[in-house]
Amino acid sequence: MEYIIAVLTFTGITVIGVLGSYLVTGLTGLFSFGQAAFFSVGAYTSVMLVKNLEVPFLLAVPAAMAVGLLAGFLVGYPTVRLRRDYISLVTFGFGEAIIALLNNSVNLTGGAMGLSGIPQYTNFTVVWASVAVCLALVVGYKYSKYGRQCLALRADELAAKAMGINVNRIKLVTFLFAAAMTSYAGVLYAFYTTYVEPGAFGWIVSAEWIIIVFVGGINSLTGSVFATILLTGLPEMLRFASEWRIAVYCVIVLLIINYRPIGIFGEFELTFKWLRQLGKKGVKAS
Amino acid sequence: MSIQQLLNGVSLGSVYALIAVGFALVFNILKFSNFAHGGVMTLTAYIGLAASLFFSAWLSGVSLFAATLLSAALAGALVGIVLERMAFRRIRNNNSPVIYYFISSITMGILMENIVTIFASSTFYSYPKFFELTVVNIAHVNIALTDLLMLVFSSVSLILLLWVLYRTKIGLAIRALSFDVNTANLMGMDSNRVVMATFIAAGILGGIAGVFLGINYTLYPQLGQLIVKGFVASVIGGLGSITGAMIGAVLLGVLEVTLIGAVGAGIAPVFVFIVMLVFLLVRPRGISGVIVQEKA
Repeated sequence: MEYIIAVLTFTGITVIGVLGSYLVTGLTGLFSFGQAAFFSVGAYTSVMLVKNLEVPFLLAVPAAMAVGLLAGFLVGYPTVRLRRDYISLVTFGFGEAIIALLNNSVNLTGGAMGLSGIPQYTNFTVVWASVAVCLALVVGYKYSKYGRQCLALRADELAAKAMGINVNRIKLVTFLFAAAMTSYAGVLYAFYTTYVEPGAFGWIVSAEWIIIVFVGGINSLTGSVFATILLTGLPEMLRFASEWRIAVYCVIVLLIINYRPIGIFGEFELTFKWLRQLGKKGVKAS
Repeated sequence: MSIQQLLNGVSLGSVYALIAVGFALVFNILKFSNFAHGGVMTLTAYIGLAASLFFSAWLSGVSLFAATLLSAALAGALVGIVLERMAFRRIRNNNSPVIYYFISSITMGILMENIVTIFASSTFYSYPKFFELTVVNIAHVNIALTDLLMLVFSSVSLILLLWVLYRTKIGLAIRALSFDVNTANLMGMDSNRVVMATFIAAGILGGIAGVFLGINYTLYPQLGQLIVKGFVASVIGGLGSITGAMIGAVLLGVLEVTLIGAVGAGIAPVFVFIVMLVFLLVRPRGISGVIVQEKA
């Protein structure tokens, strides 16, 4: 039981990370290979604040998010103006640079050994409550003015510009939103596992998140959440073919891209309206 | 900075140039950053290792080295063909948006890296020692033999590539296609064949680069992540420009060697990243000054 709860908690943390990737990739069509780096920025900042400076946990959380925002601004500001390829490669470089930095400032971060003995402040309830809040925020964002502008510029940047959308600003805002949220996921992670090390935040993690978004369907938030639970939760529990897991992911993604480019869920969103209609249909059928 | 360091930097830069050019070739035609190129390098580096172990029964020294390089290049060409067929042919025929090329290439990159991890596990391998001699002394400057070989072989393959691009019919076709796909198709060109040829050329370069990276560092499944060097070089040189990528790569090599001398190898990536950011802020079109616009 304890094991299942642990798996579910990690799945919840991954859901928040994937939500960040959904904002950047799904909504805006940018590819960030540095999401995991924001994750590590959040984790390390909060841990260092709590452990070294004895800042209370509740104060360390916004501080970690602020540092994540700052890092996001440093990376995002020069790159959103350019072709989309740049943002993926710059974030990639950013991820590598952060890992190099963490590995080399040994007296602050413990280097490759990582930091251990972190007090466990978060648990299953806190994580899933955060998931609910983040999900609500992202849903709100998707249907707000910003979200619609994101979708517009993803489909056609030039046309969006011509319609008077400030493309660079929207991209930056979305990127920063995702960065802050991912840093928060990092905080949750650090104070749940009680141990952080730079190796856990490589670009493969970011790529995995993007893959999850694509498997679920790039236009569907519901798809992202379900794909996360499916792709991270299930293999953890069943432990089958753990070596081949990523390879199997990749093949699935290639198949989806080639034969069903809209992903498993397509445009579908799970809404109250849909549930009500389903209920009515169910009554009629019986 | 001493001549010694300059030479080391240039030879490191020549390997980066191989990566950057392989990357720029595909970018030129399909207008997306081919992340799978890193996977190609990893895969071919391991194939090269297997070949060197296989041939070491009969050959040694320079001939063994040449055989390794040749088999890695051939493997690279093959991987290029498979890559194009599996990951990009269908997407191209569907006229999918650029995002799909992108995700496809990333996935292929991760897939190749994982295949290597599964079969070779995460242990580190290194190439057999090809030469007795390790350091050559030219005009009072010591240069490691591997560095010298890297410089020579990379330059030769890059010159060969330029010759193919600017002096042969297929090169003309590649350049035409990179200029405008639709017009080239209307002129009766078989774009599938030309794209295939491009991937083969990129694969060969990736194979050679993979072997050199394997010799220079050790072999590990994440070797392909050095693709980021190729990208940084392309940014400095101007994305999509082949000569720009070469110049950028050599500059990057020299910069890196200098930085490693000044601040140490561990922290050097941070400074390289900062240099790239500054470059993007100040001159996003790179040295060559070509900028590829997002398609309208």
